[in-house]
Order: sequence, then C-alpha cells, then structure tokens
Amino acid sequence: MLLDFDKLGGLRTSLVALVVLVCLFLILPIVFIAALSFGSSQWLIFPPPSWTFKWYQDLFADPRWLYSALTSLKIAAIVTVLSVVIGFLAALGLDRGRFAGRDFLRALFLTPMILPVVVLAVALYALFLKLGLAGTTLAFIIAHLLIALPFSIISIGNALEGFDRSIEDAAILCGASPWQARLRVTVPAVSHGIFGAAIFSFLASWDEVVLAIFMASPTLQTLPVKIWSTLRQDLTPVIAAASTLLIAFTILLMIVAALFRKGRKA
Amino acid sequence: MTQPFLSIQGIRKSFGTVTAVKNVSMDIAEGEFMTFLGPSGSGKSTTLYILAGFQDPSGGDILLNKKSLLSTPSHKRNIGMVFQRYTLFPHLSVGENVAFPLRIRRRPQAEIADRVKAALKLVRLEGFEDRVPALMSGGQQQRVALARALVYNPPVLLMDEPLSALDKKLREEIQFEIRRIHQETGVTILYVTHDQEEALRLSDRIAVFSQGEIDQIGTGPELYSNPATRFVAGFIGDSNFLDATVLANNAGKAKLSLGDGAVVEGVPMHGTSAANGKASLMLRPERLSLSRVSVPSSIAVTVRDITFLGNNIEVSTATPAGVELAVRLPFGHEAISSLARGEQAWLAFDAASVHAFV
Repeated sequence: MLLDFDKLGGLRTSLVALVVLVCLFLILPIVFIAALSFGSSQWLIFPPPSWTFKWYQDLFADPRWLYSALTSLKIAAIVTVLSVVIGFLAALGLDRGRFAGRDFLRALFLTPMILPVVVLAVALYALFLKLGLAGTTLAFIIAHLLIALPFSIISIGNALEGFDRSIEDAAILCGASPWQARLRVTVPAVSHGIFGAAIFSFLASWDEVVLAIFMASPTLQTLPVKIWSTLRQDLTPVIAAASTLLIAFTILLMIVAALFRKGRKA
Repeated sequence: MTQPFLSIQGIRKSFGTVTAVKNVSMDIAEGEFMTFLGPSGSGKSTTLYILAGFQDPSGGDILLNKKSLLSTPSHKRNIGMVFQRYTLFPHLSVGENVAFPLRIRRRPQAEIADRVKAALKLVRLEGFEDRVPALMSGGQQQRVALARALVYNPPVLLMDEPLSALDKKLREEIQFEIRRIHQETGVTILYVTHDQEEALRLSDRIAVFSQGEIDQIGTGPELYSNPATRFVAGFIGDSNFLDATVLANNAGKAKLSLGDGAVVEGVPMHGTSAANGKASLMLRPERLSLSRVSVPSSIAVTVRDITFLGNNIEVSTATPAGVELAVRLPFGHEAISSLARGEQAWLAFDAASVHAFV
C-alpha cells in the first residue's frame, strides 16, 4: 500500500498523537460527567474534593427520574418495534419494487435525517396541536419514529441488497407462500441488518432531546427532557448522575451490537 | 405419446414491446430428461421461469397430467428447482435446508429425518447435515440444492444452468451425478443450458432455442446428423458453412454450384429456394476428406495451418474466395503425412451426408 503505516517514518509519531488527541476530545467529556457524578461537590468542582454515591441516592429517591427513564424506555421500545417493521416493509418495497418515483420515495424516506430537527419539531408540534395529540405518548412515538425510520431503511435496505432474491424464489418453489418465504428465509438472512436497525432506532429515540422537548408535557417527560428541564432550574450533580446512567446504557447497547456483529463473522 | 405427461402449448411472453418467447410448444414424457439449449436471450430461461410460475405467459398453456398449471401459484405447483446461483438458506444447516420443504408441508419429524437422510445419500453428502452452507464448495452447495429440490418427490425438476458457476472439471463430475440421479429417481427433468456439450451429455432430448422459438427438438444424434435449420447446424457440433447457388431443387434434394465449377447433386435441402437462389452448405469438419489430387465434385483449397489435437488433426484451409474450411482427420492419416502450409488440396464429401440451408 502506498500509505503503509510502517513506512511513514517521522509522520508516524505525529499521526499517533493526532489520533490520541481526537480520542481524548471524544472521551473526556464523558469521563468528566462520570467523575462529577461521583464527586462530593455540590457545585460540580473539578477535580472532585472527595467521592460519594449521594447523587445517585438522590436520583433514585426521586420517583420523577425513574418515571421519566421508564417513559423513555417505553417510547424507545415501541419506536424500535415499529421502526423495524415499517423499515423492513419499506426497504423491501424499495429493493424489489419497479415503480415510477421509487428513487424519489427513497430520498423522501431519508429526509428526516437531513432536515434540521428543530424545524421538524416545530412542524410536528403545530400538526399535533391541530389534531389534539400534543403531549400524548402517541405524538412522542410518531415524532421519534420519523427520525428512527431512516436508520432502519438504510440498515435493512443494505442487508437486502446483499441478499440474492433467488434464495427467496427457491423457498417459494419449496412450497413456502411468498410471505412465509420472507419471514422464514429473508428475515433471518438479513437479521444483521434488522438488528442494526433495532439498535439505532432505539438509540435515536432514547437520547433524542429536541423533538422530545416539543412533545413533552409536565406529566410526560423522557429522560433527556427531564435532564434538560432540571438543568434549567438549577445545576445539581444529580444531572451528572442521570447523564452517566444514560451514557452507560447507550454504551452497553453499542457493545451488544458490536458483539453481535463479531459473532456473525466468526 | 398419446397422453403427454407435461405439455407446453403455444407459450408466448412479451415484456413491453420485446417478445422474449414467441411460440413454444412441446410434449415431454414422464421421466424424460429434456434440455433447453440456446444462447442467452433465446427464451429458454423465460420458458423455464414460466413453468416455475415466476412469470406469467402472455399466451398459451402448460398442462401437467392434463391439468393446467397456470392458475396454480408457484408454491403450490410442487415443482423442484435448482438455480444458477447458490440458493441455500444461509442461516440454516445443510440438514435444515433439505428439511425445509418438508417442514413447510408439516410432515412428521421422523419422516423428515428419514427423507433428509435419503436425499443427502442420493447426492452423496451423507453426514453433512450439520454443515453450514457458507463453508461448502460451490459443487457441494449445488448438490445440497439438488437434494432439497428432490426431497419432496416433485413430479418435475427444473434446472436453470445449475453448473455454470463451477469450473470445467467439477462441472463434468456433477453432470455425471445428475445423470445417475435422474436414472435412480426417474424424475422428469427440464434443464436449461447454453453449453451444447453439457446438453449432449445429459439429455434424452434437446430443444434448441433461437430468438424466442424452438428451432428443433430431437435427440443429440438427430440434431447433429439432421439439423433442421442453419442455426441448429451451427450450434450443435463444429461446422463449416460455404455459400452455394441452387441450380435445381427436387423433393428436398438439391443440385448446388459451389463456384469454381464444382457442382454437387443430391444434397438434402432445408427450406425452399428458387433456381439460382442462394443457399449455404454445411460441412462437418470430420465428414470432409482431404485429397492431394483433384477429384470430381470437390472444393479446391489452400492449406493454411495444421494443428495437432491429440487423437485427430485439424487442417485449416481456405477456398480461393477466402472462405475458411476446417477439416478434421484422424491422427496418422496418409493425406497429411507430407502436407505443408500453402499447398493446394481438394476437399471431397458425400453429398447425402451434408445439408444445405436457405
């Protein structure tokens, strides 16, 4: 290879230094937050004067935190299921269909990724007000489904592209009805794409804050909204504790996804 | 054949303005090995896909045991098929792949186990039940696909160029296996290929497809010795074509002028031609004899090249008009012992054993 790492000579050191810097830039804020959540200082002093679990105790003592976490979990779970099912059907249609406007439709499905989230949020809020859905769980789910779907369509669509349709035809000639063939052969064959779609859909909803702020009501708040609204009232290390748990859960999901991918290759 | 087992009647298929299959009809007997042979785009695969039910014909009918297949969806036709590409289900083991058609049919567990075992034995992959398709060779995968297509005893097995992705040696090995399996099971096989050697090796009969139509149906020897069209003559076996002028044509026997004053009589003529019309004369390289001296009704040629091919020798020659004619002679033939490039020679042939096409 032209750019063989071993042959870069002096450049090698600076390259490694750059990589370390980028990694630190990405990781340090997380380490900071985690450290502060265990720090004893009320005023988030760094480095923490001493260590404590107090903020976590406060966090779990307040039922509103737990309630908002459960709300987040519920909405993210429902969004994940809907996103995977609808995403699979949409990707199947885009992959197999031969109809006018297919490319347009593909682009349309991906617009929530490009559109500024705040624009989408304002538009959805106005629409839900009109429909009387503002502040409901349904509104939450629809809003998060919109931003989760592109992930599902891309992930499952890529998997379907690498799947030879003759395999499905073979299942049909073996006696399976077209939908039986899709469920028993196509779905398992693209399971890596479906798994990826599920993880990314869940995360898209789980740590989403902009849409959530618009969709939330005093009684219906997801964890990121709760963090946001608490943050606006006062600065307490409980927020750091909540954020740390949020990040920990997200990292856990990423690890599961990575392990799954590795297991597939082995 | 008063009651054909499988009857294809006037099948047509158009895609928009393009007609892929024009008018295909044939009767196939139970247990027959029928091959659709033709170049790509000749309609052979489309015809097979219509049989499988993946495409609906624009016209015509297909009868299996006197009942039309067309209103039956693919998954209820109970037909077996082996595809050109590897179509094993990637997430299932070999055993589960073969069991799939039986599981769909909700057969009892014990019966499934027995039949999977028997099917794998048939394709000589006993004990491969727990293997994963991704770790098998292409030839093994196609044999598993064959076992999966036969495990439910379909009345008809469709094979769409199943060996085209394999190398030559493996291809010949599996051709032999397919022949054996055909003889052991007695299943009716419709086989699509563009490889004439494969068609000749496997088939009871061959249907030669050209531009959406069947040019001729017959056994290998029939097609070789008595081609109905110039296309069949060119597609099956090696052949030379020489332009000729029809001097007379009586009851299918023609008198032809080959230019340079050479005239042959009694040549089997396919198609009608007016006197002085053009025709092309097909000469098989092994049916030509080469002579160092002029003989009656022979073609004067110049020797261009001599190639040793093992059990025979090919002499490339050219007529004064520049038409190349290949001659194949057995090794050690006296006429070539001292033959050299650039020398004059004469090609003679038995007029009754060649064919002329309009």
